[in-house]
Amino acid sequence: MSKVKIGIIIDNYHLQHKVSDFLKYLKAKAHISLYVEESFLLTNTELNFNENLFFIKGKGKLMISLARLIENETSIPIINPPHAIWLTIHRFLNSLMLKKAGILVPDFTLIPSDHSPPFKDYIIKNIVDQKTYAFKAKIEKINGNLRVSDQRALDELNGEENYQYLYYQKFIKSKWEYKVYCFGDTLFYYKQIPVLVNPNKMETRIKIKEIPELRETVLKAMKILNLKVVSIDFLKSKEGQFYLTDINSLPNFNYIENGPKLFANYLIKQAKT
Amino acid sequence: MKIGILSKRTGHLTGKLKTFFETQGHDVKIYTKKELCLDECLLENDFYILKSKTLFFIYAGYYAEANDIPVIPNPDISGKHKNRLEAYLLIRNAGLLYPEFYYGKFEAIKNQLKNIQFPLILKPIIGSGSRGVKKINKIEDIERESDGFIYLERYIEGIHYLAYFIENEICVLEKPPLSDEHVPMVEISLIDDIRDVILQWKNYYNLLFGHLDIVKEYSTGKLFVVDPGSFPEFTNWKCNGDPVSKIGNLILKEYKKLKN
Repeated sequence: MSKVKIGIIIDNYHLQHKVSDFLKYLKAKAHISLYVEESFLLTNTELNFNENLFFIKGKGKLMISLARLIENETSIPIINPPHAIWLTIHRFLNSLMLKKAGILVPDFTLIPSDHSPPFKDYIIKNIVDQKTYAFKAKIEKINGNLRVSDQRALDELNGEENYQYLYYQKFIKSKWEYKVYCFGDTLFYYKQIPVLVNPNKMETRIKIKEIPELRETVLKAMKILNLKVVSIDFLKSKEGQFYLTDINSLPNFNYIENGPKLFANYLIKQAKT
Repeated sequence: MKIGILSKRTGHLTGKLKTFFETQGHDVKIYTKKELCLDECLLENDFYILKSKTLFFIYAGYYAEANDIPVIPNPDISGKHKNRLEAYLLIRNAGLLYPEFYYGKFEAIKNQLKNIQFPLILKPIIGSGSRGVKKINKIEDIERESDGFIYLERYIEGIHYLAYFIENEICVLEKPPLSDEHVPMVEISLIDDIRDVILQWKNYYNLLFGHLDIVKEYSTGKLFVVDPGSFPEFTNWKCNGDPVSKIGNLILKEYKKLKN
């Protein structure tokens, strides 16, 4: 049987640090074409693609733009679809859509930085989650209330982005942070001590049994945002309710046992359908 | 009615629209970035006018729509006007011509554009109008952008037009290349092929008003759309009547249509 051809749209960071096992396995099973953001020149004059499927490992501007062109000009499936990636990057928009669909998300707002914080205990998150740098928390107690801020959000306030706005998410106190990975119909459940307590997330991460409530929420969120591949974070309130706190279109499958292989097989299967 | 206007500024067309609606007995609040809070406060209005297309105004438009409050013009289409790549797709999907473009990191541009014919036009990938637009005559003129990405378009030698439209009225002006809509321009009589382009654009996306920057290429006579605008200032509107009342009335009519 002939091999399928899979196009990988990627940036140097992910190429160098995140996909070596995945690519090694995939190369043995499929033809691969690489579109690397840093060296690719996007143009509207030469748009010929013969891949069976595209996978985007990144969320940079050029990668999303290339995927938009492919989507517009061909019927080749793209995982994840560019609009779905765009929505997960825009925290306010995905929270808005998820909340509207009845998914429990912590209260959130986006307001000018000189306005008073809207919640007693809160976390300030970056507004557009497009860069590759990691969450870096600054934790403070102000008048007995908890103020957590992501350094990325503070940097973007007056930096190059000059947003002058802050995205506030109401803080949900939780003993555990729950993480669910999903591609297709396959879900993987983990829990760990929240990264605000222990930044080394893998030190405390353990695999757990399926939680039906989380399964339902993950599949619903994927449907709403049209995501095919995802990792989603949840916190459990003292009332026992799971709050969806973060949604990521670019999960790291290296954290799952046999993750790169399982995911490569999933892509090959999708490419054949 | 209570009307919210999402706008970077309070003056110019925004201010005139506010006065127009107020004289009709409506309450109008302008939300600049200073006042705009993306929360329940936005639920106080009956509908919104999306004058500016910067990110948080687009967010506000989506927020209002998610809460069943009409937004005019449509936030999705307006937002796409602001992104060159999305604008290209809008133009292409409407069946209109757009110049060749090149988008990439500085090094990719330098390495792969050696055989391309200059001049090119440098434009910000997010933006509209002439802000940040520059003619590039040789590869050495290209400078590294802050985020490392560069967007270039083929410069078309031809006659440059600004074509406004409000409902079925079209006003065409000849404009100096790479200028914004505010410089002095001369109205020209409407040419059939420009009218066809405008109608195709307007009807394809069901737009009430807007503008297109169009270039008629000397060598081929073809019309290329180089920049669309969802809510221009109409500074150079030279056709009959006042654009403010025309737009204001159209918006009110559209609101009634959306509510029914």
